Amino acid sequence: MQREVGSLPLAPALRAKLVAAGFQTAQELLETGPCGLSKELGISKEEALEALQVVRQECPGDVARTAGGSGITRKCTALELLEEEQAQGSIITFCSALDSILGGGVQLTKITEICGAPGVGKTQLCMQLAVDVQIPECFGGVAGEAVFIDTEGSFMVDRVVDIATACVQHCQLIAEAHQEEDHLKALETFSLESILSHIYYFRCRDYIELLAQVYLLPDFLSEHSKVRLVVVDGIAFPFRHDFEDLSLRTRLLNGLAQQLIIIAHDHKSAVGDVVQITKSEGVNHTISHYISWLPRCAASSCHSKCRRY
Amino acid sequence: MAAKKLRRARLSQELCERLSRHQITTCQDFLCLSLLELMKVTGQSYYDVQKLLCRVSRACAPKMQTAYEMKLRKSVNSSSAFLSTTLHSLDKVLHGGVPCGSLTEITSPPGCGKTQFCIMVSVLATLPVSMGGLDGAVIYVDTESAFSAERLIEIAGNRFPTYFDSDEKLFCMTRSIHLYRELTCGSVLKRIMSLEEEIISKKVKLIIIDSVASVVRKEFDTKLQGNLAERSNFLARGASVLKYLAEEFSIPVILTNQITTSLSNGPAIQADLVSPADDLSLSEGASGSGKKESGCVTAALGNTWSHSVNTRLILQYHDLPTRQLLVAKSPVAPFSAFFYTIEKSGLVLQDGKDQTNLTWEGTNPALQTIRVRNTALKDTLPDAALPSATD
Repeated sequence: MQREVGSLPLAPALRAKLVAAGFQTAQELLETGPCGLSKELGISKEEALEALQVVRQECPGDVARTAGGSGITRKCTALELLEEEQAQGSIITFCSALDSILGGGVQLTKITEICGAPGVGKTQLCMQLAVDVQIPECFGGVAGEAVFIDTEGSFMVDRVVDIATACVQHCQLIAEAHQEEDHLKALETFSLESILSHIYYFRCRDYIELLAQVYLLPDFLSEHSKVRLVVVDGIAFPFRHDFEDLSLRTRLLNGLAQQLIIIAHDHKSAVGDVVQITKSEGVNHTISHYISWLPRCAASSCHSKCRRY
Repeated sequence: MAAKKLRRARLSQELCERLSRHQITTCQDFLCLSLLELMKVTGQSYYDVQKLLCRVSRACAPKMQTAYEMKLRKSVNSSSAFLSTTLHSLDKVLHGGVPCGSLTEITSPPGCGKTQFCIMVSVLATLPVSMGGLDGAVIYVDTESAFSAERLIEIAGNRFPTYFDSDEKLFCMTRSIHLYRELTCGSVLKRIMSLEEEIISKKVKLIIIDSVASVVRKEFDTKLQGNLAERSNFLARGASVLKYLAEEFSIPVILTNQITTSLSNGPAIQADLVSPADDLSLSEGASGSGKKESGCVTAALGNTWSHSVNTRLILQYHDLPTRQLLVAKSPVAPFSAFFYTIEKSGLVLQDGKDQTNLTWEGTNPALQTIRVRNTALKDTLPDAALPSATD
């Protein structure tokens, strides 16, 4: 694959020098070697070496000259994808009607959007999901942790305590009914304190803090590899006021949505974001282009324009 | 946080100077640019720019806390998590009372008791902690000039006769209620922005704004183009500052709101401009089909505002003189209704009346219909002339 020099992620000044010196493909760069490059471009040998390392990272296929190895694009057959999708769990809510509507629960590696009128229960559902993601595997859950990004300040710890206590009691009832070894063992670690300690809460006061937090999220998720759910409660709220430049707002929201998709896929977690219902649908339209599945919650009144399959 | 200068984000000096040549001085400017623009402006490679982004983000991002730490912190000072309203059934349903750290809204038709409730709660906030109060000062922003100091003393004397037995105690209480009269949107917003220092210096434990709706509806006529956006802007900005104050100092913030009539097909009409004698259901709707447009009376200021407040209490008429208090939106309480009357000592709940927990039938909670006085009166006095809606 002969990759063009102009598409390499080098510093713009260096790129300009390469193009001016007549280099056209990455292969030519690699053939010249660092000393030759430094003489031709007038840069130091260390800089030339750095540039070559970047090129090698970008185009591993050229260097190794192997036919199969593809570092960046992943390809697989639809059958492999189907098996993968069926094998990974979903976050159950212990509410059988809701779980059956969602096809087993809230799916991992996908973004789920929850929208509704004020007061209908969006934050309640998010808090419930943050507790339910931690249900041990023997009860049907995914035994993961949760990240809760709050932009509206509606996260009430007391309510989460209520939900968590009820969830633990529910699991205890199941364990008593079935009397299996692993149920009882799982219950030892599944307690109110452990549930609360595994909900990581970030309070973002404006859209800049939200953007900053989403940029830092991949690093956070690599440190806390057990996180299986990211909830953004109120993705629309910080963008709804004080924005004269609507095109900037659209661009920032698109960027956010794309980053969340990457996070959801790479870290095999579910991302739920909550959108408010309003009469003007500008914000909702932008987000819904990237949503792959919208839950049909019986309790919420979804705006018709946001439904996507 | 957004206005944090890049210098303080630990970027190198020459990089900061280079960025300031392109008018990028704060974290906000930096994070709003796309990656390509950043590469052009900083002159660095893709991976280096990503590292820079992470560094700047770390300077702006909020601190992480686990839910467990939050619970521990709350349980350490559990007494100050709520302001008890001394209406026992209401406090039980709300898990303690008006919650600290979030916005509570009281909505009602005129004359139902919003200002009475606010005055009563201001007295409660000044009481010592042993009596269920917050032992602090109160900031009362009054836009309708409805606050009456005499009523304040009457409520205090009648509700807590054993505590307020001397004039000294009454004066002490009235000295800690700071009243601000603001008559325009701009001055209300300026006042809200300046509250941070006052809260610290005067040891304020409660903020009341009575009422948000009156200034907003006076100045923003939503029929004019562009006004709706400006109004939402103003409301959202006010709400976010108030939320910040409430959370930062862990104090309750109470706001009052008015009602509006939302017709099913047309825009909302300001209810106070429509005289009670008008039967809105007979007016020709936008469809013009002659079908009866059923209008319902709901809280004013629109959906954006309904999203911003965390708890909403609705006061409405039931029959003379009983009124009803509904908990329409709350993160901890189910939908419930209570009957009350207004007496010398403020609001008094009527226990023992029909307190069946009403389950509301799945309508949009933001459009919770509110009973206005004229419909109640129409039932009881069909022949008498209707009095004016504002007493």
